Amino acid sequence: MRLSTEFIAGVIAGGILGYLFDHLLGTKPWGMIVLLMLGFVTGIYNVMRVSGFSGQKAEKDRPEGS
Amino acid sequence: MAVSVDPIHQFELQPLVSLGHIGNQQIAFTQSALYMFVAVGIIALLTIVATSGRSVVPGRLQALAETLYEFIADTVHQATGAEGKRFLPLVFSLFMFVLILNLLGMIPYAFAVTSHLIVTFGLALVVILTVVIYGVAKHGTHFLGVFVPSGVPKPLLLIMVPIEIVSFLSRPISLSVRLFANILAGHIALKIFAFFVVQLLVAGAWGVLSPLPLALTIALTALEFLVAALQAYVFATLTAVYLADALHPGH
Repeated sequence: MRLSTEFIAGVIAGGILGYLFDHLLGTKPWGMIVLLMLGFVTGIYNVMRVSGFSGQKAEKDRPEGS
Repeated sequence: MAVSVDPIHQFELQPLVSLGHIGNQQIAFTQSALYMFVAVGIIALLTIVATSGRSVVPGRLQALAETLYEFIADTVHQATGAEGKRFLPLVFSLFMFVLILNLLGMIPYAFAVTSHLIVTFGLALVVILTVVIYGVAKHGTHFLGVFVPSGVPKPLLLIMVPIEIVSFLSRPISLSVRLFANILAGHIALKIFAFFVVQLLVAGAWGVLSPLPLALTIALTALEFLVAALQAYVFATLTAVYLADALHPGH
């Protein structure tokens, strides 16, 4: 549950950013495409950081599980 | 059958007192708001009235309040250091609010306020706005160091900085969705498994099997109590971790 929300939040944040970017600058659909991919990457990066898979030390004091 | 079968029905908002309309949208005092007031009342009772005795040897309620307070004080101190003390009231209030609302939601027929995304998102927004406003006020442009991970080669920063920015923006979303999804999913699962008992009982010979979902429901209830407490703790801990960023940007 915990890892999945971390991933989904990344994608959603990217999607919202992309939508706003397109809406404000009129660059449909490119902002959405680029930022959704960036959000996907961020989601995976977040999951790696939380689960301690990445090279750098996981953020300390993060509770484990759920 | 009088009992509602729909597992989502329990999350519907029922307006208690209508306060008028804005456009077509009714503005009402719902049972959700009532539960929030009840939660605030319980917290006030627990933290103000129970500790008003200030006895050196605490009674039961005072001991409970002191245990909770010290627990959160420890968590905040570990995550943010000595400077984080000023955020203790915020984190403690958030923790108690979420904990009491989660536990109130576990009472049969009660309403789980934290199963509404807008409530948890509002709480998460309070956290993130505190981080941003305090960070900018204290560090100015230096606060942007949050987006620059340390120990990364210069060319990689071109990719890492956008990722960190999106990651920062995803924090309120993950903070709110985690709490909301845990409570919502737990209550739906409870309702569905409890309804299996009823369905098996009315299905004639199949009623022999009805203790199975009953046992599962009891186990799930215990699990949901764990989730209710754990999610409040997770919310408080992550708040403290994010506030640590506001105090010490630039990792």
